[in-house]
Amino acid sequence: MRRLILAPALLLAACGEGDGADQIGPNPTIPTPRQPLFPSLNVAKVVGWQEGEAPKAPPGFRVQALARGLSHPRFVYVLPNGDVLAVESRAPEPGEPVDRPKEPIRDYFQGLSSGANAAPGKEPSNRIILIRDANGDGVAEGRTVFLDGLNSPFGVVLVGGVLYVANTDGVVRYPYVTGQTRITAAPTPVAPLPGGPYNHHWTKSLTASPDGSRLYATVGSNSNVGENGMEAEHGRAAVWEIDRASGAARLFAGGLRNPNSPRFYPGGNQLWVVTNERDEIGPNASPDYLTSVRPGGFYGWPYSYWGRHVDVRVQPQRPDLVARAIMPDYALGSHVAALGLDFYTGTSFPPPYRGGAFIGEHGSWNRSAVSGYKVAFVPFANGRPSGPAQDFLTGFLAGSGRTHGRPVGIAVDRTGALLVADDVGNTVWRVSWGG
Amino acid sequence: MPPPDHPRSTASLFGHPLHPLLVPFPIVCFVGALLTDIAYWRTAFIMWANFSAWLITAGLVMGGLAALLGLIDYAANRAVRRLRAAPWHMGINIVVMLLELINILVHSRDGWTSVVPEGLALSAVSVALLLVSGWLGQHLVYRQGVGVAR
Repeated sequence: MRRLILAPALLLAACGEGDGADQIGPNPTIPTPRQPLFPSLNVAKVVGWQEGEAPKAPPGFRVQALARGLSHPRFVYVLPNGDVLAVESRAPEPGEPVDRPKEPIRDYFQGLSSGANAAPGKEPSNRIILIRDANGDGVAEGRTVFLDGLNSPFGVVLVGGVLYVANTDGVVRYPYVTGQTRITAAPTPVAPLPGGPYNHHWTKSLTASPDGSRLYATVGSNSNVGENGMEAEHGRAAVWEIDRASGAARLFAGGLRNPNSPRFYPGGNQLWVVTNERDEIGPNASPDYLTSVRPGGFYGWPYSYWGRHVDVRVQPQRPDLVARAIMPDYALGSHVAALGLDFYTGTSFPPPYRGGAFIGEHGSWNRSAVSGYKVAFVPFANGRPSGPAQDFLTGFLAGSGRTHGRPVGIAVDRTGALLVADDVGNTVWRVSWGG
Repeated sequence: MPPPDHPRSTASLFGHPLHPLLVPFPIVCFVGALLTDIAYWRTAFIMWANFSAWLITAGLVMGGLAALLGLIDYAANRAVRRLRAAPWHMGINIVVMLLELINILVHSRDGWTSVVPEGLALSAVSVALLLVSGWLGQHLVYRQGVGVAR
């Protein structure tokens, strides 16, 4: 009972959260978990971008809005002819069943900053917009509705002449011809993925193996730490491997709470992913991370975090699984909500950026001093992270508890510029060198 | 009809006191939450923890209404205020409501620590206090006749 009496004191102590710098890199500090009576809750209110406002990049870079006025764009993908696909998406309807009185309250507060409270059906969504910038100057000549009628889509990948889209309930494919601005063909199912009725972390992202023979789809967990019962977690918190020819799917790696943006390191055969870790055990636990993904690997969720730090909230515990939990490669800080990842494959940025990882951090809710709300850069050497993370694109936060936007998906375009999907800012940003 | 010899209930409808009508709700909800907490502690089956959270929430809502009506009976009638058991009945029930308010915050954690150990302890202490305050409430009605017509 002593912990209970101390709880208000802990709540006050939450103001001293530090800047989280010791939370970034291969060996983050993992503090003792704590559960105050009121979990820290601070979501930035969305105010959007006025004409002329833009996020800030380091000196020498130029930031342009490639497309404004989109509807909650969450992911960007670049087609071989330079056309940019922006995936507009909203959470599946109807939402998941309400299991506890806490859930509508939590969803309301998170919704304040996610744009998820927008009246459904108000503006078109769940579709893909094609943005054409044929001369690569960062000013779009036009845009079209490329694909419509999707089911809470997130990931997109083109292999050969086939476009694969990860809806929230499975991967579908469409024929695509270079230069096409609208696909009207009906989708062909490729492989189902765990969807509703419980579909807590609903974004399914997608990539293809370098040889194009397999697809990799991410499936987030159905809860924070298994509190919807482990029956709800079959096939979730995992990366799935799908044979492109047959559609046969298998679990490739597990224990990844909410993995997103799987990417193969350029020139190799190593898969990487960014993962959102668990909430409500303190402002500095547990760090979100960037990690290489080993076939058959288990990364702890829900039983442990950052390797073998056991989470007592999960019963029955599984010491057998904790014993084989892999420690991730690189911590990005707690609650930053890393959702976007792309390796820099262009040549127009200065050499230190080449081969490094750009990471879209959507931003925190479970922290009184917000974290994330930026695009971070992690330098790589020899296919591994090689130094401290740097802020690359900032200025999303507007001060006084407000934010202009929140970055999500990341892509490198044909000219070597970086594209960033800003979902609540309804914008795709383009960051180029010089200009 | 002769005037009642007993202390009157102010919050009443057609001569029926409303406070005793509502008090069974929080009592049953909080006792039920203790039982479902014990069930979760023994089984780790998450359904029981969810039941506890709903029962505590319902108990707080209905208990709040019952408290309001009881407070009216207490404040509006000098004869009720003069009864020695009345402030004890009220005070202990206020403590129960405060403990259950903390309890719903504890039960809003995820998984095991939403119940074990603090949630279960709070539920048990609350029910133990309810036994005392319930006894005092019965004393006020069945021995001292608060709200009894004649």
